[in-house]
Amino acid sequence: MKKTVKGTALIALSAGVALIAAGCTGGATNNTPAPADTTTPVTMTFWHNSTTGDGKKYWDDTVAAYTKDHPNVTIKIQAIQNEDMDGKLQTALNSGGDEPTIFMARGGGKLADVVTADQVMDITGQISPDVKSAYGDAIFSAFTIDGKVYGMPTSVLPGGIYYSKDLFAKAGITATPTNFEELNAAVTKLKAAGIAPIALGGKDAWPAAHWYYFFALRDCSKDVMDKAAAEKDFSDTCWTKAGDDLKAFADTDPFNKGFLTTSAQQGAGSSAGQLANHKAAMELMGAWEPGVVASLTPNGKSLPDLGWFPFPAVTGGAGDPSAMMGGSDGFACRKNAPAACVDFLNFAASKTNQEGYAKAFQTLPANQQSQDVVTDPALKDVLASYNKASYVMLWLDTMYGQNVGNALNGGVVNMLAGKGSPADIVSAVKTAAAKG
Amino acid sequence: MSETVNALPQRSSGSLSLRGGAAKASPRGDRARAQWRKRAEIAILSGPAIIMFLAFVIFPVFMAAYYGFFRWKGFGPPTNFIGFQNYVTIFTDQNFLDALRHNGFILVMSLVMQGPAAVAFALLLNQNIKGRSLIRVLIFVPYVISEVIVGTGWSLMLQYQGALNDLLTNMGLGWMATDWIADPNIAIWTLMVIISWKYIGFAVILMLAGMQGIPDELYEAAAIDGASYWKIQRWITLPLLGPTIRVWAFLSIIGSLQLFDLVYIIWGQYVASTAGTSTMATYMVREGRLAGNYGYGNAVAVVIFVISLVIALTYQRFVLRRDTAGALTEKATKEDR
Repeated sequence: MKKTVKGTALIALSAGVALIAAGCTGGATNNTPAPADTTTPVTMTFWHNSTTGDGKKYWDDTVAAYTKDHPNVTIKIQAIQNEDMDGKLQTALNSGGDEPTIFMARGGGKLADVVTADQVMDITGQISPDVKSAYGDAIFSAFTIDGKVYGMPTSVLPGGIYYSKDLFAKAGITATPTNFEELNAAVTKLKAAGIAPIALGGKDAWPAAHWYYFFALRDCSKDVMDKAAAEKDFSDTCWTKAGDDLKAFADTDPFNKGFLTTSAQQGAGSSAGQLANHKAAMELMGAWEPGVVASLTPNGKSLPDLGWFPFPAVTGGAGDPSAMMGGSDGFACRKNAPAACVDFLNFAASKTNQEGYAKAFQTLPANQQSQDVVTDPALKDVLASYNKASYVMLWLDTMYGQNVGNALNGGVVNMLAGKGSPADIVSAVKTAAAKG
Repeated sequence: MSETVNALPQRSSGSLSLRGGAAKASPRGDRARAQWRKRAEIAILSGPAIIMFLAFVIFPVFMAAYYGFFRWKGFGPPTNFIGFQNYVTIFTDQNFLDALRHNGFILVMSLVMQGPAAVAFALLLNQNIKGRSLIRVLIFVPYVISEVIVGTGWSLMLQYQGALNDLLTNMGLGWMATDWIADPNIAIWTLMVIISWKYIGFAVILMLAGMQGIPDELYEAAAIDGASYWKIQRWITLPLLGPTIRVWAFLSIIGSLQLFDLVYIIWGQYVASTAGTSTMATYMVREGRLAGNYGYGNAVAVVIFVISLVIALTYQRFVLRRDTAGALTEKATKEDR
């Protein structure tokens, strides 16, 4: 128990460290935008979150290719564990030094906090026309704040329900559900066949919150959701209806037993692991799922019978049934970064580099011209729906910021555990506003 | 401190120099040099520790107090000063009050569950029984294992589809199988069992050490007087073990107030509060770090600090006074004498 001191001291300590670092490096921000010439030596630091395997190699290769073309540019790569990324970035930005020049960003509310602190570069006018036309406008919305673009997306990660085709066949389900009546019927059939219908990593909370997000996507109109993002206004009745719908669905007991203690991605007992090992038939997830499931199958290869279908339509919902929700990974430049920074982002966004990215990360590239390299059947289905979607919303925790996301996580878990009502989810969001 | 220590010799050297005319220069120079050396020694030996302590303990405490007055997202310097608003929010947030209540429960139940058991184990292990050192090791092992490993292990075993429920089902006790971690009626007791299992080894070692310190003569005298085994334990061992028990209780209280890692690992970031095992520290991480409300998180840290400090000082003042007399509190020494 004594060791727990570190928990309490953590925030205080990191604050202290940040301040000391600030003292040491203050005044070192002399990164005035350099002219885009090819002779002045430029050094940049680059933070990404791929610490192993193909992803790490992809970034190493891409940076090597760029610096080969631009011998005056040196890029120092730092691969940082995903979970450490936010904290390190925060400390680095507060320290006043000029590291990192290029850093990973996921857009939405979190990026907005960095923008408010005036720490990130507005790249609106510097995105190359080629990239703009190949990407389309919609995808930049995740990184757009007050009409200015602050980041370059590298992938799109729309969500939906991943399922095992074999288990569906075993339970006698012939077509993927398109609305909740059909999903309920499928759940009943799977139960009768002795299969856990839906795996849910409730211990990590965000997979449970995703169910609420998707019900909100179907129940709330785009305008209401955008309004909530702008004004943090959750008074529309659709927010409560989404909770009611989720509660009604959860009451049919569709999730794996003990889902509150099931983690999302760790080991065979996790929700992704249950799907990978044919213990459960479905899971609601983002486009990273095929890669995660592949790492959890008995032989470590991708699950051959993995399929995908969009979140089913909800009766009486104001949202468009073809609408999708998802996230987007991307990269941003530090405020006052040299011109080579955006130049590098443009380079990484090219068709070939995006193809390499999609292959290395087994995901969907942001560049629409690079989509041909996607071969995973489930991802191809995702892509088809994505290209047809009337609009794509960001994950609500990304769009509304960590604070609201945190409150939604807690509220949804409480409700699924039978400890709170759908209205409590909405009121939790309102209380959260008082804290930040 | 060095000021007061050096005050006396300084004055006497001054008077010396007034009287002895010839021996003026050298003794004064020697003493001055000795004094200087002493001060330098104190500065060099204690300096690094003091600097580390100030930089990593005192300074962060003050910075936390400073940040706690702001609505701050953690990027850039805080600018939105809101006075005591964060503190008002903390004490009106049901989740925090729940966490505080859980901390109180854990504090009391740790003492009640571990104290008597630890004394009993120590009495047992103080006997010349077979396999004594093996049992000692077995009891102490959980304390040595890292919290993360303990937490991961228990959380896997206690899952609904985990080893414990499988075992129960296979033993024909399937009706006992339940969600040990997520069921709000059971969760806090599950936590208490894990905490007791984990930390009782530490208590037992402390008690054993305390028992080793009790002079054998007392036991011999009691035995000659015809006292029974239980009488000897009741009237000799227990009273003389008092200081050890009080120090252990102090450490246990501090640990209970700051409990974080086991809960965070077994219950995860959100289910702890649903299942009723959240603590002030898990609340701080959830509402501060996970929510990105760093100003608010700092205010929570200050509240935890103040609560812990008040309880610790009160305990030291009223319970530990005799035990720490002279070591921590000079005033108490005089009073007791």
